[in-house]
Amino acid sequence: MPTRRLSLSRAVPAVVRQSHGLQRFMLLLGFAIIAAFVIIAIFAPLLAPYGFNDDRSGGVLFGTQQAPSADHWFGTTVGGTDVLSRVIYGTRTALEVIILAVVLSSLVGVPLGLLSGYLGGWLDRVLVLIMDALYAFPSLLLAIVVSIVLTGGASGAVGGILAAAISITVVFVPQYYRVIRSATLAVKVEPYVDSARVVGVRTPRILGRHIFSNVAQNLPVIGTLNASEAILTLAGLGFLGFGIEPSAAAEWGFDLNKALPDASNGIWWTSIFPGSAIVLIVLGVTLVGESLNDILNPLLRTRGAETTSADEKEITAEFEELTGDIEPSVEVRDTETSEKRVAALSLSDLAVTFRTDAGQIHAVNGISFDVAPGEVVAVVGESGSGKSVSSRAVLGLLPSTAAVTGSARLGDRELLGMSNSDIRPIRGDQVSMVFQEPSTALNPVYSVGWQIIEGIQAHRDISKKDARKRAIELLDLVGMPDPEHRVDYYPHQLSGGQKQRVVIAMAIACDPDVIIADEPTTALDVTVQAAILELLLSLRDRLGTAIVLITHNMGVVADMADRVVVMYRGNIVEQAPAGQLFAQPKHPYTRALLDAVPHLGRENGPGLVDENELVLKVEDLVVEFPGGLGQPAFRAVDHVSLEIRKGEVLGLVGESGSGKSTIGRTTVGLQQPTSGTIHVSGNQVSGLSDRQLRPLRSRFGFVFQDPASSLNPRMSIGQCVAEPLHVQTEMTQSEIDAKVRSLLDSVELGGSYVGRFPHELSGGQRQRVSLARALALDPDLLIADEPTSALDVSVQARVLELFTELQQRLQFACLFISHDLAVVDTLANRVAVMQNGALVEIGPREQVLGNPQEDYTKRLIAAVPVPDPEEQRRRREARGHLLTDIS
Amino acid sequence: MTAEVLAPHEPTPADPSRRRRGPLNPLARYMLVRVALIIPMLWVLVTMVFLLMRVIGDPVTAAQGGRLNAEQIAERKHAAGLDRPMLTQYWEYITGLLHGDFGTTLTDHRQISGIITEYGAATLELSFWALIVAFGIGIPLGRLAARYRDRLPDVILRLFAILIYAAPVFFVGLLLKLAFTPFGWPSSGRASTQTELTLDNVHPHTNIMIVDALLWGDPKIILEVLQHAVLPATALGLLTGGVFLRLVRINLLQTLRMDYVTAARARGVSERRVVRKHAFRNALVPVVTVMGMQIALLLAGAVLTETTFEWKGIGYELTQYLKARDFLAVQGIVTAIAVIVCVASLLIDAIVALVDPRVRF
Repeated sequence: MPTRRLSLSRAVPAVVRQSHGLQRFMLLLGFAIIAAFVIIAIFAPLLAPYGFNDDRSGGVLFGTQQAPSADHWFGTTVGGTDVLSRVIYGTRTALEVIILAVVLSSLVGVPLGLLSGYLGGWLDRVLVLIMDALYAFPSLLLAIVVSIVLTGGASGAVGGILAAAISITVVFVPQYYRVIRSATLAVKVEPYVDSARVVGVRTPRILGRHIFSNVAQNLPVIGTLNASEAILTLAGLGFLGFGIEPSAAAEWGFDLNKALPDASNGIWWTSIFPGSAIVLIVLGVTLVGESLNDILNPLLRTRGAETTSADEKEITAEFEELTGDIEPSVEVRDTETSEKRVAALSLSDLAVTFRTDAGQIHAVNGISFDVAPGEVVAVVGESGSGKSVSSRAVLGLLPSTAAVTGSARLGDRELLGMSNSDIRPIRGDQVSMVFQEPSTALNPVYSVGWQIIEGIQAHRDISKKDARKRAIELLDLVGMPDPEHRVDYYPHQLSGGQKQRVVIAMAIACDPDVIIADEPTTALDVTVQAAILELLLSLRDRLGTAIVLITHNMGVVADMADRVVVMYRGNIVEQAPAGQLFAQPKHPYTRALLDAVPHLGRENGPGLVDENELVLKVEDLVVEFPGGLGQPAFRAVDHVSLEIRKGEVLGLVGESGSGKSTIGRTTVGLQQPTSGTIHVSGNQVSGLSDRQLRPLRSRFGFVFQDPASSLNPRMSIGQCVAEPLHVQTEMTQSEIDAKVRSLLDSVELGGSYVGRFPHELSGGQRQRVSLARALALDPDLLIADEPTSALDVSVQARVLELFTELQQRLQFACLFISHDLAVVDTLANRVAVMQNGALVEIGPREQVLGNPQEDYTKRLIAAVPVPDPEEQRRRREARGHLLTDIS
Repeated sequence: MTAEVLAPHEPTPADPSRRRRGPLNPLARYMLVRVALIIPMLWVLVTMVFLLMRVIGDPVTAAQGGRLNAEQIAERKHAAGLDRPMLTQYWEYITGLLHGDFGTTLTDHRQISGIITEYGAATLELSFWALIVAFGIGIPLGRLAARYRDRLPDVILRLFAILIYAAPVFFVGLLLKLAFTPFGWPSSGRASTQTELTLDNVHPHTNIMIVDALLWGDPKIILEVLQHAVLPATALGLLTGGVFLRLVRINLLQTLRMDYVTAARARGVSERRVVRKHAFRNALVPVVTVMGMQIALLLAGAVLTETTFEWKGIGYELTQYLKARDFLAVQGIVTAIAVIVCVASLLIDAIVALVDPRVRF
């Protein structure tokens, strides 16, 4: 595989380039030490003054236990040999054993881990059992036993080294196995592996091309760990007297064994030198392994590189296309808002800069806005607009790599530049925060009550008992059912909406003047979102709190905000009262943004296509997942029947866990149905084996949700798109190349993208590549599972437009799975609504979305906030307060 | 759209009391599952040891070969039951284990269970002291390194951790011996011969030297026993402590980046409390889990440490029997070690469950 060799030869310098400071020093020091030992090992006969077993030179005995001298720099051993020569020759033994052990154990452990992780089943279970048993066992003992089994005791040089290497291999195979298996388990559920399976790629190719290439990045780290432990184990074997026969090869551990009695007699040179050699070589290898781990571990990278600049460029491109040459930093500010107001929180000229490995990043470039008591100010913007960063800067919650300038005043106090101990009493007491993801904002090991009480006691000098009473009151206030009991629940025992209620309870615990809510409903289902927004508004009314609401969702803005601040790339482009902003957006970016947002009920999706032939026919589909020990199976799909005709788009909507994705996966054979049948273009596809299904796979394509993981990071765009053609057709390479180009053209990506890699593309571009790949085989049926929900709104609009155009042109049938009713409203002919695995309602788009018959559909539609404050207010009044009960 | 279409009072989706109801409380259920998983693993280990020992050849020839003639060997084999079919021997071995019978040594006809209780106590004592040293080093220094990430203390501590990981435990032992013997600090054995003889009279005799010494009550003897433990415990404890240090550091760094840590800061919790209550406690979960795996390392290290310091524990005995090629003894002792490892990992699982409510409920 030429590509892999290439990437390996490039790996070392790349790693060095990625490192910095101490890491780089450690890495280079490690490499230097290893290189020195390799040189010593190769030139041992030239470097060593004597043979490792010589006890005399020219017939003259060296003498035993002689102290270091000019003749014997390191002295002589109890056996009368030269210590220096033994240490030098010992390097050879050590390196031979390391190389053999690392090669042998990776040769055995890696394939076993790959197969076991990928195939699963009984093979996996048996292997896990055996490997765990081997792993749990003291490795040195195992090595001793194996080496005795192999050699019956002592042996010669070659046999001895081989035996040592094999015994060490047996010990380390489980480590490779475990690491590779768990990496395989993680990689195999990645969408790009699923998408390879969807087009019918065979198992060996999936294992090599898609899994191994992505798992292999773990190998350098475990390889170095393995190498260092191999040396230690070899030395341990020698020290106990079970290693290589001393006359056959020099071995440091054995020498230390012989030096053991010397230690009590003050003879230091026999042990210090071989011991230091062991320490040094292990040190070298460990330094390399440790720094590799540090550099490659994504959890420990400095932040800043997280938002791919490609995404921001894409938004910029959309912006420029829509707005022409207008400087984004020119702010359009409505004159009415500049009247004298008493602000609760007021930012002026706030700027944030991050120091990252890639240089300085200006996240926020001097923004000013304020929020008055009882007011909701929405800060909207797309990825990279700096909306979250600016709010965290206010409370001093940014990492130490951030530099903040400007001013943030709370009443008459300046918050910026406050010391940690000065700002701590303000956090949570006067200004508090609600976070985006309630499941990560709550500490999993403490009960929710404990965490609320902690917040109260940080500011109020009250007893635990009173604080607990207050916590229960707060939970009651935020609409948590049964607060007396729930106060003792742990976060994982609550639903997403309930967790967000807890987070809000914490935020209001000390009656703050300002609440900063950072995408408080983004992680929640739409009905839960409606309830949480309702709660925030009622708290504002009751407590008079000022709320800064950070969001990307224009519907939420229209629902909640009194005033709106629109941000774009670290600048405010417009701020105005909500009604005015939606009615007459002044800045071209605001206009473009509002145009891009689909509006439920105002979209003109296509009508019906009744006369075309059936492409997908799902009959009475049931899918169950086996439950855990003693728990019943979970029914994800419950007797669902639906059909889609040629040229028709069926929008499948529902909240999380409704089973809509499972239907999509079952249709393409990624999941076996429990009962029921699926026909695609007249061929039954359910209940088929992989082999039987393979020829039928060219009939359907699949687009996955997450653009970050739907393309194999190790394959170029061209390779990704070409894969279905390679697998399913007999086309020649040049035919394939031509087809790939035309496919990329059809999704508006030029030929220059063929050689690029997924990480160089933005999210929207990656989704377009996914679309091209899904359409490569001219499928009858396309299944799109939330294809745009990870994209920013302006990018989403572009992708949806492209999708609609291709669908009209190619007339494929499409199952479009989405949680976003407004998106479905733009492109579906018919709509199906799912709840708890069952189909609630199915029918023409206008009917289901415009005049729903079922209660659940009505509730779902009522919960969607539309991007128009006037209309949204009417909708809110019409639906009453009943959504508040949902969490 | 009218108000009544919105059905009131949706059931809350995740009501734990409804979702997970079983005959047992969740912790008991969890531990039962762990025990059920340990049994096949133990069986695999025990069978592996048995098979390995049979691959070597017949134990009598290995131990006595050369000293006895063919007839005597056959006689001994018959006496030890080694001339019977493999399956019969395996069955006997397994049923013996179920009754707590680990077999008898070939060379000196001792009950292996007796060896284990006698010498195992010494190893237990050594591991105990070593763990104290390891915790004492690993946890505070790991926290310190995480706190000063990429600054001088972190650099020094990381180099220190790598260095003590790189140094084989027996080399550290040798260095300690070289350094402290000149000052007359005891560096071999668990106590002086005289003290050992004295302590043999203690009733009940636990063979855990410090307990015996405390029962005897002579402060001089207690001091002596403690002195003997210092060097071996340091050597072995440094090894494990280095691992703990790195684990604590890296997990603390990871939990410090979690949202709930930011959330705690955002509600005004003091930085000390954030680190102690939120970051550190959560970092402990993976640390404890990995500690379970370190038991094997500790035991392997104990074998080497015991040899270095002539600490007559189970590892020391094992190497003696290995050298004597007494494979029946080796089989029994190794099996016992396997059992100890499994039981210890079970205990660790219980501790993890206590620290992490997600496992408990």
